Amino acid sequence: MTHRLDGDELLRVDALARVEGEGAMRVRVRGGRVTEVALDIYEPPRFFEALLRGRAFAEAPDITARICGICPVAYQMSACQAIEAAFGVDVPENVRLLRRLLYCGEWIESHALHIFLLHAPDYLGYSGVIDMVRDHHDLVEVGLRLKKTGNELMTVIGGRSVHPVNVRVGGFYRLPTAVETAPLRPLLEAARDDALVTVAAVSAFDFPDLEQPHEYLALRAPGDDYPLERGTIVSSGGLGFDARAFEEHVVEEHVQRSTALHATLAGVGRYVVGPLPRYSLNYDRLSPLAQQAARDAGLAQTCRNPFRSIVVRAVELLYACDEALRLLELYDPSGVPAAEIVPSAGIGHGVTEAPRGILYHRYELAADGTILSARIVPPTSQNQAAIEADLTGFVQDHLDLPTDELTRRCEQAIRSYDPCISCATHFLDLTVDRR
Amino acid sequence: MTSLVVGVGQVDRGDDAVGPLVVARLSGAPPEGVDVALVPTPVRLADAWEGYDHVVVVDALRSGRPPGEVTVWVLTDAPLPARPGAGGTHGFGVAEAVELARAMHRLPRRLVLVGIEAAGFAHGVPLSPEVVAALPAAERAVRDAAS
Repeated sequence: MTHRLDGDELLRVDALARVEGEGAMRVRVRGGRVTEVALDIYEPPRFFEALLRGRAFAEAPDITARICGICPVAYQMSACQAIEAAFGVDVPENVRLLRRLLYCGEWIESHALHIFLLHAPDYLGYSGVIDMVRDHHDLVEVGLRLKKTGNELMTVIGGRSVHPVNVRVGGFYRLPTAVETAPLRPLLEAARDDALVTVAAVSAFDFPDLEQPHEYLALRAPGDDYPLERGTIVSSGGLGFDARAFEEHVVEEHVQRSTALHATLAGVGRYVVGPLPRYSLNYDRLSPLAQQAARDAGLAQTCRNPFRSIVVRAVELLYACDEALRLLELYDPSGVPAAEIVPSAGIGHGVTEAPRGILYHRYELAADGTILSARIVPPTSQNQAAIEADLTGFVQDHLDLPTDELTRRCEQAIRSYDPCISCATHFLDLTVDRR
Repeated sequence: MTSLVVGVGQVDRGDDAVGPLVVARLSGAPPEGVDVALVPTPVRLADAWEGYDHVVVVDALRSGRPPGEVTVWVLTDAPLPARPGAGGTHGFGVAEAVELARAMHRLPRRLVLVGIEAAGFAHGVPLSPEVVAALPAAERAVRDAAS
């Protein structure tokens, strides 16, 4: 199909595949101008917030891990951090490092999944990864190996790779032994090589021009760390605040046409979380190897083109392998597995860097540790306003493209955000309505 | 020969819980020599079945059949007929996971899908009555396929 839609026509795409979960997106064009771009999102976190009320604090990591099949660790880490903050508990350093190592496993698996199985086919001109295998078998093999290594790391630390059961408020139920962690080193060394191959491969793709003007929001960690399991929130416009002030700065509004809440920054407006902000606000914290790979891939220290997010994700994948190897070196299996927990009444806030961006949790707890209320703000709903704005500009600039090509590019743009729609939506259809 | 029964799905999502529930029923007295596992999303299927010769996947389906209907496909013989919406809440469904594994030569020697037609995948909703009624038949189908 090569005709262009400049008459009264409706374009409908049955499913925006290759996002985790499902949702709906509508683009409305009237008289040659884009008048509306709407991403409809259902909010499973609202369901989980209700589910958490009345439950014991110790259940929160297991319950919230069920929100997303791809990033359960992120939910566990933000939940633990928030509840520990409410109880005034500091976890031992070896626990923090092991959590970071577990989080590296989730980043490796999630980024490899997104880069190879979901996003790369867009750039290479295939309808999906199954078609891509025909011509790029070895590249897909690299992706599957990386995904599996991330999975293996999560299994050894987390107890099993899905909804890791070894995580608890205060730390872990038990620390993996040196015998258990020993096989991870050669796996991660090979993964680091595969990640270098990945950065080089994706940097050779063609990237449509698109410059995001939005505020960038990411964590900034203490010390020299690239942000994962802790940090304060910083922005490209100079904001800086900790998790306790999240709800003063992030305002959620109901959008009439959607069941979702739109998150905006008070006094700023729409903003973006995820790999691009994280990278752009923390380039100096990447390992030397990851920085070098970013330079070799042609990335500047700031990246504002969502189509290049696949390259940034590859650089983060490399970093996660590199960092996991460093953390393995530091790991002490003889330490205590968890801090002692004494419940007390209070409110606690937690924020960590899920693969898709900042994930915020707040819990109000009774004196016996019962959860009185919970609030969860996932990355995808924070990006929703920016996705809509980017799509508006992108469609406006490319109205001359054939319909099928424009639709394909829109899907690619949406996938650039790696929307974890299972955290944020239930069904994703893309409809472009042009009249 | 090593055998695995693997349930796909999430327990908080209506009929999506049927895979884990059938596996739970099986776990009490699994067939001799059969391992059981769960994955919340089909993207982990191929990692889960690595090393097994004979694999039975049990999952909720949306294919237009009446809710509760149990269908058995031998996927090593042929792909799923047009994507039937296996694992309807996942963007990368069972069909994609299986066809990717086929393309990458990572299928087990024999792969069977026991699909239970779902009525819905809404969060926080219990199993539909049709799927509850289908649990014994689904368990039998899985036991037959695994033996």
